[in-house]
Amino acid sequence: MSRAVEAPVVGGLKHRPARPGAIAGRTGLYVLLVIVALIFLVPLLWLLSLSLKSEGELSTPSWLPKTLQWSNFKDAVTLIPFGKYVTISVFLAIVQSGLATLSSALTGFGFARLRARGKRALFLVVVATLMLPQIVTVIPTYLIFARVHLVYTYWPWVLWGLAGSAFLIFLFRQTFASIPMDLEDAAIIDGCGYFRIFWRIFLPMAKAVLVAGFVLSFTAAWGDFITPSLFLDSDHTTLAVGLSGGYTTAAGTPIYTALAAGSVLYVLPVLILFIVAQRGFINGFVTSGLK
Amino acid sequence: MTTAEAPAAIRLPADVQTTAPRGWKRYRARTFYAFVSPWLAGFILLTLFPLGYALWLSFTNFDGMTGHYRYVGLQNYADIFRDPDALHSLGRTALYTVITVPAAIIIGTALAVLVNRPVRGRAAFRAIFYLPAVVPIVASALCFKMLFDSDFGLLNHIFNQLHLQTIQWLADPLVFWVMIAMTLWGVGGTMIISLAGLQGIPGELIEAAKVDGANAWRAFTRISLPLLSPIILFEVITGVIASIQAFIPALLLSIQSGTVAATSVPQSNYLFMIHAYAQYFDYGRFGYASALLWALFILILVLTAVIFKVSGRAVFYESGPDEAAQAAAGHATGGKAER
Repeated sequence: MSRAVEAPVVGGLKHRPARPGAIAGRTGLYVLLVIVALIFLVPLLWLLSLSLKSEGELSTPSWLPKTLQWSNFKDAVTLIPFGKYVTISVFLAIVQSGLATLSSALTGFGFARLRARGKRALFLVVVATLMLPQIVTVIPTYLIFARVHLVYTYWPWVLWGLAGSAFLIFLFRQTFASIPMDLEDAAIIDGCGYFRIFWRIFLPMAKAVLVAGFVLSFTAAWGDFITPSLFLDSDHTTLAVGLSGGYTTAAGTPIYTALAAGSVLYVLPVLILFIVAQRGFINGFVTSGLK
Repeated sequence: MTTAEAPAAIRLPADVQTTAPRGWKRYRARTFYAFVSPWLAGFILLTLFPLGYALWLSFTNFDGMTGHYRYVGLQNYADIFRDPDALHSLGRTALYTVITVPAAIIIGTALAVLVNRPVRGRAAFRAIFYLPAVVPIVASALCFKMLFDSDFGLLNHIFNQLHLQTIQWLADPLVFWVMIAMTLWGVGGTMIISLAGLQGIPGELIEAAKVDGANAWRAFTRISLPLLSPIILFEVITGVIASIQAFIPALLLSIQSGTVAATSVPQSNYLFMIHAYAQYFDYGRFGYASALLWALFILILVLTAVIFKVSGRAVFYESGPDEAAQAAAGHATGGKAER
């Protein structure tokens, strides 16, 4: 008797005598969740299915390919300069997100740990840029860069990286503000300057946020369409742009099976990254500014 | 003002700071500016300067080619109201915003409520619902084109098997709804933000309401929703900003045999930024296009201000409006971080 009373209440819902209504409600909830999950997955599953079908199969209604056409993937990487696009995408994404993460960490440290006249006003500027529509600055930047011959080079990505990102600045400001004063005080008493404090104490303590910031800005750069399509010429562009313009026959008709396979290859790294860092995406850094 | 009224114990840190050596304070201020200088330089060069340049262009008739252009005052802004395409595009953008923003918030919050319940496989459901939000826009557009293609799209296959007439989804007027479906596919971003808000609500509050006899719906509308309102305000503002400037989905859905062109976007997807983009890159009317860009910018500023104003009464702040406003801006530590 007493043992039953003391039974752990973990998952208390399940131990309660179930009313028929509750069971029906629970089943209904699962059915609903599974249906919604399927709706969310269908676009990707359909893409995967098309990427393995033969051209002739496209017009026949079937969920699954008859035989798996792996050759579509060979077409995907040979019909367009796939390797070159990937190299450029990876290079630009690493340059931009590496610089952006570091620059945002510096700025975030400044806002969290240092005092100066004008700091509050500058922080309002960071808030304001968070609200600023990107495209309003991207097009005039393009016009200016076209005049100073920075278009069709990779320099814009270096500059965007150095400028950091408002969102990451928040993330780092949050992180650095929550670290207790003791360490910093001790270092200052030992004669450490702020740059050493930042580099030796704060940055190593923020490893998780550094990784998160890099992953977030890498996926953003990998997925970016409008800046490479404006700032790069179509021969030396990123996979995002190359993919959307490629895979046509000489006559100009699209080769959908290769396009689907190319898209699968393009999405795959992001999906793998997401699955690996899934907990971080969902419970951590995406919403860390809100909690 | 507040420091004057504050008890001595709270004023103490300020006293300590005034006694800090001057040299140290100056070093600290210099270090602050050194640390933020890459960002500050980037802000001036890549945000402020382009904005100013576009503003200047918007007062001229620059066509991008000839060096001979002149100041035309507010002519370009006046032209917007006489340009039927601009007004049409504004209408499409308004419709797109009015549909996608509330729909994303309702669906996103509903999903958040579902995956906030103690169900088996909760982490997997969260991941699946959020997944499309990380799919790059180019791939999302390709997915939806292949889903709704008139020949081999899944939808028309299903219609075929039901012996229904197949439909041209990617043409006027239905392509507008394909674009909306594509936008709402990425609703996971909103879900995650609502979920973070829901997780911040103390469970005791909901329990107490249930003890008092409230059913789940009543507990949600009377307790969770008011506590969630600052988060919803944040979602409304970011949603409105995102959808007013949206144009890439429309552009990508209209790609024909590999060419991206604003001019090939169907009428029903002709959003305001598509019009601006076309004016820049298809017609070379840089002055007028810059006026469109600035009109968009001003519209967003005005709408954000109006939303803040209107929401004043509807939004419930647990810990004072200041802190919640900062939370809406993306961080919630408020005074804690200020040292």
